[in-house]
Amino acid sequence: MSAAPQPDRSDGLLHFADELQGVSSVPEAAVPGPELHLVTFGLDREEFGIPIGQVREVIRVTDITRVPQARQHVRGVTNLRGRVLAVVEIRTRMGLPPAEITPRSRIVVVAVHDRILGILVDTVSQVVKVPVQTVAPAPEEVLSANTDYISGVARWNSRLIILLDLEKLLLLPE
Amino acid sequence: MTTGENPFGELIQEYIVECLPLAEQVGDAFVELERRWREGDAGNDLLRQLKGPLHTVKGNSAMMGLTVQQSVAHALEDICAMLASAPTPNEKMAGLLVSGSGLLIELVKNAAGDPDSDRVAQFLKRAASFRAPAPDSAESSAQAERRQTDRRAVNTWSAAGALSSNVIRVDFRRLDAMLEVLGEGMIEQAAVADHYRVLAAKIGATAELADLDRALAAVQKTFKQLEGILMETRLIPISTVFGRFPRLVRELAQARQKQVRVITSGGEIPLDKAVLDRMGEPLVHLLTNAVVHGIETPDERTQAGKGAEGTLILRASSESGRIVIRISDDGRGLDEARILAKAQSLGLEVSATDAAQVHSLIFLPGFSTAEQVSQLAGRGVGLDVVSNTIHELGGTIEVESRAGRGVTFTLGLPLTLAIIRSLIVEVDRERFAVPMNHVAATVRTEPDTIHSVNQKGVALWRGSPIHVSDGGALLGTAAAANPSRRFYVVISMGNRRRGILVDRLIGHQDIVVKSLDPTLGRPEVVSGTTILGDGRVACILDSVRLLEQRMSA
Amino acid sequence: MPNSFLVVDDSKLHHQIYTIVFAKSVLAGAAVRYATDGQEGYDLLKAHPELTMVFLDLNMPVMNGLELLERRRAEKLNLHVPIVLVTTEGTPEDEARGRAAGAWDYLRKPFKPADVERVIARALAQAAPRSA
Repeated sequence: MSAAPQPDRSDGLLHFADELQGVSSVPEAAVPGPELHLVTFGLDREEFGIPIGQVREVIRVTDITRVPQARQHVRGVTNLRGRVLAVVEIRTRMGLPPAEITPRSRIVVVAVHDRILGILVDTVSQVVKVPVQTVAPAPEEVLSANTDYISGVARWNSRLIILLDLEKLLLLPE
Repeated sequence: MTTGENPFGELIQEYIVECLPLAEQVGDAFVELERRWREGDAGNDLLRQLKGPLHTVKGNSAMMGLTVQQSVAHALEDICAMLASAPTPNEKMAGLLVSGSGLLIELVKNAAGDPDSDRVAQFLKRAASFRAPAPDSAESSAQAERRQTDRRAVNTWSAAGALSSNVIRVDFRRLDAMLEVLGEGMIEQAAVADHYRVLAAKIGATAELADLDRALAAVQKTFKQLEGILMETRLIPISTVFGRFPRLVRELAQARQKQVRVITSGGEIPLDKAVLDRMGEPLVHLLTNAVVHGIETPDERTQAGKGAEGTLILRASSESGRIVIRISDDGRGLDEARILAKAQSLGLEVSATDAAQVHSLIFLPGFSTAEQVSQLAGRGVGLDVVSNTIHELGGTIEVESRAGRGVTFTLGLPLTLAIIRSLIVEVDRERFAVPMNHVAATVRTEPDTIHSVNQKGVALWRGSPIHVSDGGALLGTAAAANPSRRFYVVISMGNRRRGILVDRLIGHQDIVVKSLDPTLGRPEVVSGTTILGDGRVACILDSVRLLEQRMSA
Repeated sequence: MPNSFLVVDDSKLHHQIYTIVFAKSVLAGAAVRYATDGQEGYDLLKAHPELTMVFLDLNMPVMNGLELLERRRAEKLNLHVPIVLVTTEGTPEDEARGRAAGAWDYLRKPFKPADVERVIARALAQAAPRSA
């Protein structure tokens, strides 16, 4: 693996994938071994992944009721078969503007510790099996004090999947 | 023995030297844990400490090819992890852990020889039955929620009349599950009723629709009946909590050379177990306060012309859909001077002439007067915590005091936490539920009924002026203040009232209360959420908090 | 230049295990150093940029393997030295976490001497060890 490309200080996270277009990832055939089973979803132009073990289901977006004085980044609550599910807007958590709900928007229902909540995403890509050996630390220019919820990246099949640490991501400020 | 084929077999003595002290450490810790459990302490710190040693023994055993030792250590490690997140302290579990560690110690000691496979198999079998299934995508959300309430309900439920053959013991969690399913059923039923209405509006009156209407009404009636029955099963007479107080008070009094007698009444009044479980601590605290600070020593009392023995009265009664618990003592009453001094030192503005206001200050944080370092009180819980607990349950607490004569705390509790009657209102297209137990009235806003006094809205209601706030401003909806809102809802508690302006009154509904998800943080204006007939979620207004707030808008 | 290895593990038994594993290498002139906790391991890593490979146990008190890796990444210390994370924990998620923190490879317990030899051979074959 060659070294990471020249750091671009301007936009960090969001334009990172663009820069990496030219860098080859580990060729598929040469990578045996255990695999990471991920649910991948999109926010803006980036692709993110979380372990499938933490995902309970993916649902379409119906009504999200705003909750007054709720914590930052909580978009509201929604009805999941009789259960009131809190919905977190990770876009705002990552410094992006709030999502405009489209027919492709989805809520990824996750279980973290003993809490169940939903994550609002722009699109859900697919479930992928990524060889663990393709996992690497997130490059410097992507990391900052505010992005401790990024646990690494997986470069595979010319895709860059940004791995999220759900526990850290859902540690919301008051 | 497998170490023969193991490349590290020659290190067997080093293995024992390293792992035996660890196994013994684990054994000692489990014995200590058993003792702690008996005292009601979950012992989480002990469980955390055990993670390292067990993990090391497991890993070392694996490296040496000692699969038996590895399995036993692994089983114990798993159980400890399970207990750390979902404590279930009980005799059987403690016994399992102690015998498991004893087994591990012996296995490590005799690692060079053959293990007692029968004993090992037996232990592993017992251990397997205690391990919770690993959470996976198939686990129902109901289970996860139940485990949360479990953590509170560590007390076993003692059924009244257990000797009678008509009584069976039912795990309280089953009742909770039944209630949850019923709640969902009621939501679905409300949805069906909604669909019916839409359909009826579309196709107009027909005979078939009339039949459907009747059938729906019958279903609703059945649900209500079932709800009633289930609610009753959750009810437990207050005497189960009152019962331990006379002894507690006697101990407290003796420790302070005071004489106090306890009179209880209304023990037969039933209360929802969920409420009762949480009421124990606040009640103990109030009683402790009464004995420690309220009631004087026999000398002081005789000098004041009272009998040497003080009296504590605990009265429970049922009043208009609520349970009222009064705790009265005939002691010295609240020390108003001290309260005022404390208020001043905290920078609060208080009118010294308004006795009720002065008295209610004791519920604020920082007002733990009279040195809350009482040893018997143990954790030194302030009255503000008591007040919070009661409010979280949807209840109210008030205090009356007469100098030299005594103090009375009046607690109002909802009969049940789960299903309450509410008024559904709409503000800027957002709907909210206002529990009926605090709704005094709904008033149509006539022009010029709301006046601005010091930039706050004021209206005359039943002859008295009350503050009227804009619902939008209060709840952060789209329009911060809309003077043309058509109604206001008067909420009240005790002698406090305020009005909240809303756009529409949708109707009354029995709603299933869902407590606020901790992910949401700590909103102050809403106390929970519910699912309305159309499937959308609505927030439940926290009337109690709103009535306690200083009026700012 | 002869190979040199660093073992960071709080288990004395494992130190003995590694002496057996490295017996042949030591005969061929390799140097093996041992640390009993993360802090000591970090100091040794700092002092020896010529290390061929580090074998790092995950579960140690005070500073565990993951913390050491993260600290190394933050301080950019000798990132060219391949560090192999050693542990019984084995889900793909655990492994991903280790690699994301900068582990060059992941060795699951129980392992045999041959497993270690294979990892070392791979590192040596990659003429330029991968940068984190």
